[in-house]
Order: sequence, then structure tokens, then C-alpha cells
Amino acid sequence: MVTRRDLLKSAGVGAVALGLSSQPVFAAAERIVKMEAFMPPPKGNRVVVCGGGWAGLTVAKYLRRENPNIEVVLIEQRPNFFSCPISNPWLANLVNLDFISHDYNQPAAKYGYRFVNDKVIAIERDKRRVYTTRGYVEYNYLVLAPGIRYNYAPWFGDNQELIRYTKLNYPPAYIPGSEHLALKRKIWEFEEGDFVITVPPGAYRCPPAPYERACMVAEVFKRNKVKGRVVILDPKDDIAPKGPGFRMAYDQVYLGIVEVVTKASIREIDPMKKVIKTTAGDFKFADANIIPPQQAGELVWMADLIAKDKEGKPTGWADQDPLTFQAKADANVFLLGDVISPALGVAYPKSGHQANSQGKVVAKVIASRIAGREIKPGSLMPENVCYSMVNGTPQEAIVISVNYEYNEKENKITPRARTINDRSEALAKSTYEWARAMYRDMFA
Amino acid sequence: MDRRGFIKTCGTVAVASFIDPSLFSQVLAQQQDGMFQAYKKALLVKSDGTPLKEEDIKPQVNYIFFYPHNATPCYLINLGETVPPAEIKLKDGKSYRWMGGVGAKKSIVSYSAICAHQWSYPTPQYSFINYYPPDKPSETTKKAGIIQCCAHLALYDPKQGGSVIDGPADFPLASIVLQEEGGRFFATGVLGKDQFQQFFDNFRTELRQQYGSTAKARELVDKCIVMEVDKYVQAVVRC
Repeated sequence: MVTRRDLLKSAGVGAVALGLSSQPVFAAAERIVKMEAFMPPPKGNRVVVCGGGWAGLTVAKYLRRENPNIEVVLIEQRPNFFSCPISNPWLANLVNLDFISHDYNQPAAKYGYRFVNDKVIAIERDKRRVYTTRGYVEYNYLVLAPGIRYNYAPWFGDNQELIRYTKLNYPPAYIPGSEHLALKRKIWEFEEGDFVITVPPGAYRCPPAPYERACMVAEVFKRNKVKGRVVILDPKDDIAPKGPGFRMAYDQVYLGIVEVVTKASIREIDPMKKVIKTTAGDFKFADANIIPPQQAGELVWMADLIAKDKEGKPTGWADQDPLTFQAKADANVFLLGDVISPALGVAYPKSGHQANSQGKVVAKVIASRIAGREIKPGSLMPENVCYSMVNGTPQEAIVISVNYEYNEKENKITPRARTINDRSEALAKSTYEWARAMYRDMFA
Repeated sequence: MDRRGFIKTCGTVAVASFIDPSLFSQVLAQQQDGMFQAYKKALLVKSDGTPLKEEDIKPQVNYIFFYPHNATPCYLINLGETVPPAEIKLKDGKSYRWMGGVGAKKSIVSYSAICAHQWSYPTPQYSFINYYPPDKPSETTKKAGIIQCCAHLALYDPKQGGSVIDGPADFPLASIVLQEEGGRFFATGVLGKDQFQQFFDNFRTELRQQYGSTAKARELVDKCIVMEVDKYVQAVVRC
């Protein structure tokens, strides 16, 4: 029997963290109590994967490839897939929407997993249940790969109206959906003045994305002969990663169009007056892509698996083992993709390739555990390859690739990075082939 | 397999191939634990239709031909030095014996040009998977004498049966079994884990455009035109 207290414990964490009142939580709890299972109990081993992004899709497919007897259920709230990687070139019309959109039917049919197009509303880890709007499903193993959520609190506190206004009028376009479409409309309609892009403080999804986006917005301005600039407000001391590559593009391809302001930590934003006050000065903008600070996606909060700092406060990111991606607090739950915390001396970038690569590790770990074997820690490591389009005419890109090695003696992960900052058309072609191959990996 | 068994197998196959090509395939199939697939025996020819000879295969040049299907690309490389046989171990525990180079110097090798990671392959427009000769290392990985796919930086060793050196590929490149008979070269089968099914599954649209139908793309060949990669591919993409 699920008690009201149990449900508050499971459903309430996220709501509390969001600063919501307890009333909706109680309403949700009442609703959950009455819910029934929408799938029969697992006959063998069932893995429920929440989140159909780069990590979740990969886990689902590779689990089925590892062992076709594992029952896999993939729950995703969106009806179709929209790729954040390559969405910047799409903003500049370098690729069309078909290139970055994919259907969930194909991999579910081919690899024999169940795709549930629904929203997760609660997680009960003690009962191993995931609740969606249609009821609950029981699991043996749970994979949470929900991506990020925005955290405007450092800028706006609990002022929900200001958050709503900013998100609506200056969409971050960091979570797939209308925001990307809105941003594209805004940059193609832009006529004059400064278009500001904010680089979020702390860890955020796809570290080079704001810098690549600046190039693609500048490309649109150049083509449209707009009397305007793209102003990047960056809290860091310098551009990273691929700093020299982006700098060269700004200086050589988009000179006078892109300006980077470093050490610009945001102190205050007035979205109505269109002013951003930073530690590097105040900036008035004609329009903006305000990318806020970020945290692990909602489901990790819902499952109460957020890491805590020394003072016991939530860090905002998942508390996972860095080698297996298993939740530290629950051996039956795995946390991967953009949600993870840095550990063992390394912060894996929150990128699509990383998420895909982690998905393969997690699929192996779970399949091995089901088979009664344990994988040697560090024997499977994720990797990262990240291209950035820095010129639209001709199309040119730069790249960074990173491999990771685990040193068991020192219990430390060491990254080995290789960067090409000299942009080229060959790398632009490779960018698209990288993407096509990644989509093949997840969907075909 | 121990060293003695390995040498014995190589010797048996070498003798068998000299006597009867079909027996060559049979022996190879028996010895390879299901990792060898015989296909139509196909003569390698030049663009003018005459048989390809050893002197036509310049060292360190990347050549392309299509085998065993109309649409499945393969690379042919003269590595310029003797390439001894090697035992190839796969992650799934299987293993097979790669026969090493062919030709007078045993320096000529051939592999499927479909990346074993996510199946990038050379098209008439571009090739992301390429051979990097010793004097032209990869800018990204700084490695030379390798086959590298720029899509995700999968690296393969042409001197070691296409084994994975680095990157995300789980399997080596499948190797094309070549036989030399009286100065002529024949492709007789594929050794290792080929990616043909995934290739045909994934590129239906592209293959239909290029070949008219997927059935046409799947047709088995009995003759292979060998040409330098940049004669077939518009943009050889190196990284």
C-alpha cells in the first residue's frame, strides 16, 4: 500500500526543489495512489529507461542487442526526436529539419523494445515503480537519462513570473521543442542592434554550443546584411573548449559581427528593459538567447538521487558512480548523460556523443549483471567527439575528441584530448557524417 | 590456437589454394569457426578491363573495388613490406586467422571499406574512411599507416588484419581474402565480421539512388574494377 507520506517522499522532492507549494504535490500523490499498472509485472528482467535522448536511446538498443531476453521499456514524453547536436547549423539553414528529426518507431520495432510516449510523474524506488500519466510500470533496473533542466534561480530567485517571461521571450533553446523554432524565427527576423548570447555559469549541456551558435547566428546576420552584432557574455576567463578555433572564426570569418566578452558573470537581468548587468559591464540588447544555469533533469530529483555537497545541500547533479554510472544510493538505478556529476578527477562533458557512449557502457554493465557477471571497473570507458561548425560560407568546422583512461591504482580518470582548431571544409563534411552515423547508431 | 596449429593451417591453405581455388575456400571455412564466408570468385581488373597485376598496385596508394556485392566497397593497399599472418581476437571471444599480405612480397592487403563502427563508407561524393600512408599522418590522431574513419575516429591496423587500434569500433574491419594465380588476383571471400546486413539496412535510400534498386546493389560480382580512391570519390575527407 502506498502511503501519502511515501508518495510525498517520492514525488515531493522535485516539487520542493522547484520551489512549488505542497498543494500540487498532494494532488499528484492522491492521483498516484489510485493508479494501476499499465503493464503486467516483469516475467524476467525488465529495464525501464526514462528519457529518449542520446543516452536513453542507446541504452535501450544496446541492452536488447546484448541480451534479447531483457525486456526494455523506453519512456519519453516527446512524440518524436529532435537532435540538439547539429541544431546550430540548422538555425542557419545549413541542414533541414529532416536531418535532425527522427522517429522512435524504427528502433523500437527493430530492436524489440517498448516505446511509451508519456510523461513520468513519479518514481518509487522502494517499490521499483515508475509512474506515468497512464499508470505505473515495475522494473528490475531503472535508467534515468532525462537530460537537463533550467535553473533560473541564481538570476531571478523564486520570481516565477520573471522566469516565465524570460523563457518565453528569450528562449534558451537548450531543450528540444518550440524553443529552437522560436530562436530560429527570432534570428531570421532580426534587423538591427546587439543580439546577446549568455554562456551559463557552472556545468551546462554541450560546452561549445554557445560559441558555435554565435557563428551560426552571425552567418544569418551576414547573409541578411543585418546591421547587428552577436555579443557573447561569458563568465569564464576565456573561451573553452576549442577556444583558439572559435577565436579565429570570430576574427577571420565574422570580424565585427561577433564580440566575446569574457569574465562577464551575470549580476542582474532585466528582461523587460532588455539590460544585462555583468561583472564586465552592462549590456543593452535588441534581442537575446538567454541560456540560464542548468541542473540535472527533473527525474533525478524525483528519484531523490541528486548529489549533496559537504554542507548537505544539493549540488544540482546526479550522485552516480563514475565508472558504472550506477546510482550511489541504489544499485538498481543508473544515471547517465547530461545529469552526471564530475568524479575521479574528470568532468565528462555533457554532450551527445558522451551520452551515447555512456549508454553503451551502461547497457554492458546491466546486461552483465543480469548474466551474473560484474564488469571490471574502468574496463569500459566512454569517449567524446565534438565538432563545431564555425563558418557557414563555405561550411567549415573544428573538432575535439577525448578518450578517457582509468588508473586503478590512483583511482583516477585521465582525459586525453585532441583538438583541431584550424577550421576546414573537410571537418565540416565530417561533422555531418559524425551526426549521420550517430543517428544510425541510435535509430537504425 | 597454438603457434604450431596456426602455421599448419596457413600452410594447408597455401597448398590448397595452389591446387584448387574452391578447395581453398573449403579449407578456410573449416578452419575459421564460421568467420569466413566464401563468395563468387572475382577477378580484379583495371579500368580498361585487363587483369590487375602486382606492378599496377603502387605502394601506399589506396585503391577501391566492390566485392562481394555490387555496392560493397573494399580497399586494396600495397603496404610496401611483408605483412605476416596474424591471429585476430574479437571482443565476443571468437578468433580467426588472418592470412597476411599476398603478392611477391606478401605486402598486398584488402579490407571491407565499410567502417565496423557505424558503417561510414566511400561514396562517389566523399569518403570519411581512408588509408593514411606513413608520410601522411592523420592531423587529429597523429597516426599513420592506419585506416581511419573521420566520423568517430575509429582506427584500424591494416598490418594486423584490420584490428581496432583505437576509437569506438567493436570489431576489426572485415578482410577480403585474395588469391594470386599466375600473376592475376582474385577475391574469393570475406574473413571476419562483415557489416553487409547493416550496410544494406541503413543505406536503402542512397543505394536505390545510386544503383536503381537495392536488389541491384546486392548483386554478387564476378569481376572487380580496381581504381585509386580519388578517381572514384569526389572528396577524400582526411582529418
